[in-house]
Amino acid sequence: MQKVLIVDDEEVLRMLIEDTLEDLENVEIHTAENGAEALTKLSQQVYDLVILDYMMPEMTGIEVLEALDIEQKNAMPILMLTAKAQENDRSKAREAGARFFMPKPFSPMELLQIVEGILHENSEAL
Amino acid sequence: MRTAKLSNHSIKTKYYRIITLLFLLLVVTVTILFFYINSQQSRLKAEREVLQTKANTIDELAGALNEVFFRARGYIALKSSNELTLLNTALENLDGILDQYATLNLSPEEAEYRDALSDYYTNYKNQTLPKVIKLVEIDDYEGIRALSQSGSTQSLNDFLAYTKAFKSNSDEQLSYMADRSIRKADLYTFVAFGISAFLLLFLTLMIWRMLKVLIDPIVRLEEATHSLAAGEAVLLGRLHKQDEIGRLYEAFLNMAHSIQDKEEELTMQNEELQAQQDELQDQQFKLERSLIEIESIMKALNQTSAVGILSDKGLFTYANDNLGKYTGYSHSEMIGYPFRLLELLNITDSQLEQIFYKLSTGGIWSGEVETLVKDGSASVWLHMTVMPYLNDEGMVYQYILIANNITSLKSAQQQLAVTLQNTEQTTVMLERYNQLNHELTYTLDKQEFAGKFSRFMNQIYAFDSSLFFLVKDKIAVVKGVPQDKVERYLDHHHLDMLHRLQEEKSYIVKRTGSPREQGISPDEVDCYDYYTSVVGGNDEILAVFCGSRIGHPFTEEEISEIQGLVSRVALAIERIMMYEEIEHGRKLNQDIVNNVNEGIQFVNTEGVMQHINKALSTLFHYEWTEGSLVPADDWLDAFTGKSNESAELRSFYENAMAESAMESSTMKYSLGKEEIQHVDVYAIPVLRREDRIGTLFVHRDITREYELDVMKSELVSTVSHELRTPLSSVLGFTELLLSKTMKPEKQLKYLETIHKEAKRLTELINDFLDLQRMESGTQQYNVEPAHLSEIVLGVIDQYKLSSTHHILFEDEAVHDEVAVDKDKIVQVLTNLLSNAIKFSPGSHEVKVMLHNEPGRILVRIQDQGLGIPKNQIGQLFQKFRRVDNSASKRIGGTGLGLAICKEIIEKHKGSIGIDSVEGVGSTVWFSLPVQLAEDSRPVEEMSKWGADKELKPSVMIVEDDYSLSLLLSEELKGKGFRVTHHYHPQKAFDQALKTPFVAIVVDLMLGVELDGWDLIRMLKNDPRTEKVPIVISSALDQTDKSLLENVKTYLTKPYPPGELSNTLQEIVEIKLKSGEVLFPDNDL
Repeated sequence: MQKVLIVDDEEVLRMLIEDTLEDLENVEIHTAENGAEALTKLSQQVYDLVILDYMMPEMTGIEVLEALDIEQKNAMPILMLTAKAQENDRSKAREAGARFFMPKPFSPMELLQIVEGILHENSEAL
Repeated sequence: MRTAKLSNHSIKTKYYRIITLLFLLLVVTVTILFFYINSQQSRLKAEREVLQTKANTIDELAGALNEVFFRARGYIALKSSNELTLLNTALENLDGILDQYATLNLSPEEAEYRDALSDYYTNYKNQTLPKVIKLVEIDDYEGIRALSQSGSTQSLNDFLAYTKAFKSNSDEQLSYMADRSIRKADLYTFVAFGISAFLLLFLTLMIWRMLKVLIDPIVRLEEATHSLAAGEAVLLGRLHKQDEIGRLYEAFLNMAHSIQDKEEELTMQNEELQAQQDELQDQQFKLERSLIEIESIMKALNQTSAVGILSDKGLFTYANDNLGKYTGYSHSEMIGYPFRLLELLNITDSQLEQIFYKLSTGGIWSGEVETLVKDGSASVWLHMTVMPYLNDEGMVYQYILIANNITSLKSAQQQLAVTLQNTEQTTVMLERYNQLNHELTYTLDKQEFAGKFSRFMNQIYAFDSSLFFLVKDKIAVVKGVPQDKVERYLDHHHLDMLHRLQEEKSYIVKRTGSPREQGISPDEVDCYDYYTSVVGGNDEILAVFCGSRIGHPFTEEEISEIQGLVSRVALAIERIMMYEEIEHGRKLNQDIVNNVNEGIQFVNTEGVMQHINKALSTLFHYEWTEGSLVPADDWLDAFTGKSNESAELRSFYENAMAESAMESSTMKYSLGKEEIQHVDVYAIPVLRREDRIGTLFVHRDITREYELDVMKSELVSTVSHELRTPLSSVLGFTELLLSKTMKPEKQLKYLETIHKEAKRLTELINDFLDLQRMESGTQQYNVEPAHLSEIVLGVIDQYKLSSTHHILFEDEAVHDEVAVDKDKIVQVLTNLLSNAIKFSPGSHEVKVMLHNEPGRILVRIQDQGLGIPKNQIGQLFQKFRRVDNSASKRIGGTGLGLAICKEIIEKHKGSIGIDSVEGVGSTVWFSLPVQLAEDSRPVEEMSKWGADKELKPSVMIVEDDYSLSLLLSEELKGKGFRVTHHYHPQKAFDQALKTPFVAIVVDLMLGVELDGWDLIRMLKNDPRTEKVPIVISSALDQTDKSLLENVKTYLTKPYPPGELSNTLQEIVEIKLKSGEVLFPDNDL
């Protein structure tokens, strides 16, 4: 059973992503509505993928990444959802440890494909 | 001591010493040689004797042997006994010789030979001979022959041969010895010759040395003597010897020195004499020249001056032609006549006596003399010098008189004196003009100028009364004229005067003095009034001067002087006017420059800052006083030091001021650390005609534009985020709907979400559009009368279901009639409320308060949120502006809300503002003008308990139906109550603990968790609130009887609102009468 954590402050978007991924087999979906909650969840267990929103109140996606250990970041792929498609934000996110990007607005089917790809790769690696 | 020492070194002693040494050497050598030769000769002699002895001995031995053999052979042959006896004797002789031979000093060869001989002899004597004797006796001659054959005879022969050889050898030796002695004698002779030769050489050397020591100095001495004689310098070094020569040298040197000294002295004396002689010659020459000079002087004197010589008695003994020419007397008329012949006009007799007395004592007199010519027709001025000649006894023996004609000079002098007097008068005038000029030049103020001029005129021309009047400015300075008269002049009278002055420049009026002017004089006095005008360049009368003198008419000079002065004054007035004009222009320019928002700075070509305006001085906080010049280094340091881009600004300045920079240039820089100001500066070279006179820098504060730019770009990114989120939902869910099959419920849910998000998007876009519309002024407002309380309650009603924040509404506004576009006000309230909620994430309460202020109604929305930094409050209502800190940034928003609110409120002639303490919370307020209806009662009347807000009885309504709340609150406010609205029982209870209420109106049907009864129970169970009267307002009948005893009144809906207010008024009145404490004690 693979685990995916969705972190987004917008409830509708959480719902959208959750519903997009619900058909994946053997995948358990968790959600967090802000950075603090995400960090708590990340400290409790290992996820196979974290989908992280960039612009969140209280704590941005980058700040969440910065709070994580390097080992943790290396251990799990992070997909960052960003409304800011600018390149400098991307490089900031990349430096902080995000490996995948998805600009908002995104296509759920495309997201699904990417997530499937990442999870597949993960299981292959295992 | 000296002599002893000298004697040691003297040549004589040395000579003696050398001779003695030589003699001793000779004696010793000869003695040694003599003894040595002697011993050698005696040794040779002894050797010779030994050799002689040996030779003799060997000779004897040979003889003895021959004797023996001869006797032996004789015996053998003869057998005679005699022969035998002779043989024995020969043998004994041989023995003796052998013994003698043995004692001799023999060489080893000889010794061997001696031993062999001895052995042989012993053998011969002891064996051979007896055998032979026996054989003879027996006559065995055969045996004898055999024996001789056996060798005995041979050895004997050998021996003999040896002896011979030896003999010859010793002879040889002897002759060798003789040769040697001869050679030795030759050697000795040679040695003796060598010694004598050496001695001779030594002697020669000594003598040579002696000669050298003696002769050389003598030769030099001789040379020195020669040179001394020749008078040359003696170049003789001191001889460092202490012998006779040395002393001779010393003595010679001393002598030479003394001779030289003497010689020098003589030379000097000689030179002195020579100089004296030269001087004498010179004097003679001078004397000759003087004589010539005197002669020529005399000639010259005769040409130019009159010369006369007087005897000691004062009689002329000589008079030249000039003297005659001057005085008119002929030569013969003067010679022999006394000096008194000349009649002196300016010298009295007593003076003359004094003069002669002075002359007789040797003094010289010189002076100017006026004398009559011979015929008495004219007088002549002479400059005369008289000089006495004294003889050896000091007595005067003659006088010489020299005189020059100075008559023309005298007359010129007199003319000059007249001119001088005239000049002095002119000088005084000029000085007056100058004084006036000076005073006027340094005056740039008209009033001061007029005063000075007036004072000057009065002082110089002694006016009893005067008026000086500047026509254009109506400035007047008066003396001795009453003020009312002045006014009269200024008002109308002066017009006549001006008219006349237009025609003639000045005029004088003579009149009889008024009684005041007459004063104490018994007679009538005349007064002279002088009128003159100061005319400007274009014949315009600038000023008028009137002066009045009592009893003193004006002279022509005075009139022309005054005219002159007045024309000068015209120039001065024009100058002042020009100055004022320029000054005005300058001030205008300065005001313009100073009031321009841009900072302006002018720097000359040397880099010296000549001017900055106020804006720049404020921008850089740089103190500059008008007119001060600041060197480049000073202001560059001060200015660039304040910039955050110090180096760039400096190089910009330097480049712009460079001579080559003829184009304008610009740069942007910033100032300050906390509140950064952005400035745009441009530099342009300033030219006067063709020449560059400096550089102008214009600094424009572009902070607003800069920040606007930043804000705009921030806004773009914010907006993009804000827009993308709902777009994500819309697109995402649509895609899900299109690509997946799902249950209808889910589809519905998705559609609802899409709808909601699309709406959000629309709102966002509407916000922009609103603002855009408002800014462009195209927004339409549908203004209609409305009640603000109603609107507020309506908005709050929409927030009732908010899970995070409870909204408390405190309504004290009696007048809430406003003329507004209701939708717009709702928009404002919604915006402010959602802001309050958004920006107070930590708290759960937002308070809305409504109250009246004269002529307007005030709405305050108070939160306990993040608050706003003080310096940002003012900027909040600007577009695109959000509180710039990380906490609020995360909350998001378009940043347009407050700008929209401001636009709306201001369009309603209201005002809006924020009071905030960072970290404590903010209160946003806005006020709107109240529309008072004609029949409405004034606020004061309506309030039975006075206008004081704190004294107003406070009532809480706990009601979730907003229309009912509104109804009740309108009624209660009308009766002067202050109304607090609550819709949540728990919050209401909390509020009741904090605020003293006169009564609480409770609706029984409230929320789901708690209802009205619960609230009543809580209130009654708490000692702090149990006393507060409770009024139940409910649609339900009275059900819970147990609690009813705690309730003051039970009103069943629907009831007229007046009933409630009456009930509450009753409660208040009862409490007031009974003096019951209305409010729960806060201390409890």
